Amino acid sequence: MNTGNTVSTARLAEDRWEALSGDRVVGHGDLARRADGRLFLSIDVWQDEAFDQLAAAMLADLDRPLHTLVGEDDHSLTARWERLGFAVGRREWEYVLPTDPRETGTSRLPAGVTILPAGEADEGPLRALDRAIRDEVEATVGWHTMPAEVVPRAAMVVEPSKYAVAVLDGAYVGLVRVARVPRRARIGLLAVRADLQRRGIGRALLTHALGALHRDGIGPARAEIDASNAAAIALAEGVGGRRAGSCLELVRH
Amino acid sequence: MARTANGLEIEGTVIECLRDATFKVELQNGHHVLAHISGKIRKHHIRILPYDRVLVELSPYDLTRGRILYRYRN
Repeated sequence: MNTGNTVSTARLAEDRWEALSGDRVVGHGDLARRADGRLFLSIDVWQDEAFDQLAAAMLADLDRPLHTLVGEDDHSLTARWERLGFAVGRREWEYVLPTDPRETGTSRLPAGVTILPAGEADEGPLRALDRAIRDEVEATVGWHTMPAEVVPRAAMVVEPSKYAVAVLDGAYVGLVRVARVPRRARIGLLAVRADLQRRGIGRALLTHALGALHRDGIGPARAEIDASNAAAIALAEGVGGRRAGSCLELVRH
Repeated sequence: MARTANGLEIEGTVIECLRDATFKVELQNGHHVLAHISGKIRKHHIRILPYDRVLVELSPYDLTRGRILYRYRN
């Protein structure tokens, strides 16, 4: 909407900007600083001209690079950010994964591997596995390529009831974290120790987690996967997953 | 319905997901509005699905338009 009124902007706080038309608030901009240091912007407006003015104020105040997230189907919002010099930095697919074993197929466990169902893993070794996997990711691709925001390690609670764990020779070597919420079950994290990947452990963990949801009457689960992660995409599609949308991370360098 | 510093906020239920990240929401008073999701919901990867109960901020310029501020847990 364009009202023709003059819009003014002001920075109200370190992380908040506001646009006014007369004495009416017509929009606001917000800044979120992620644990890895990246700055994410968002802008909500009731007037089109307020968007550009808020963006100009925020861009003038903040150091680059700057990031924002948009749904890929939100063409008008994407176009607004692109006009401001933002470009696609990363795309993540949202996959809908069936839970019925007739659709996912069954997965034979790799030799020597067993899976502890959610709630049966010991918290100490599970926490150690979580730490080891985080170290491996940080040493290789880094969390900035991961779809979700990563909670700082000190604040991370490893809750065994949410994790199924793969065990090899008594050692915890892989995990899958599931949010068991009807209508919106979600695979939050699936990871296997780096030196044990490509042996079928990840697929076994995923089919186990999906099957457990199915037994509890929980339908399709969702998962976000970075578009560049070919192995994860193959895994999701290998259990019958289908794409249901995508999210773009736009970056202005 | 609550009047806040930013406008009117009212609960509703998502009844349809439309194109361009827009949702049709039935408000408590039975009216229907077209709503976008707020930037904070987008930043936190909160997915909105049909039948979700949500809090909607209505546009001060057009009461058939709104913005989804919050998704209730059930």
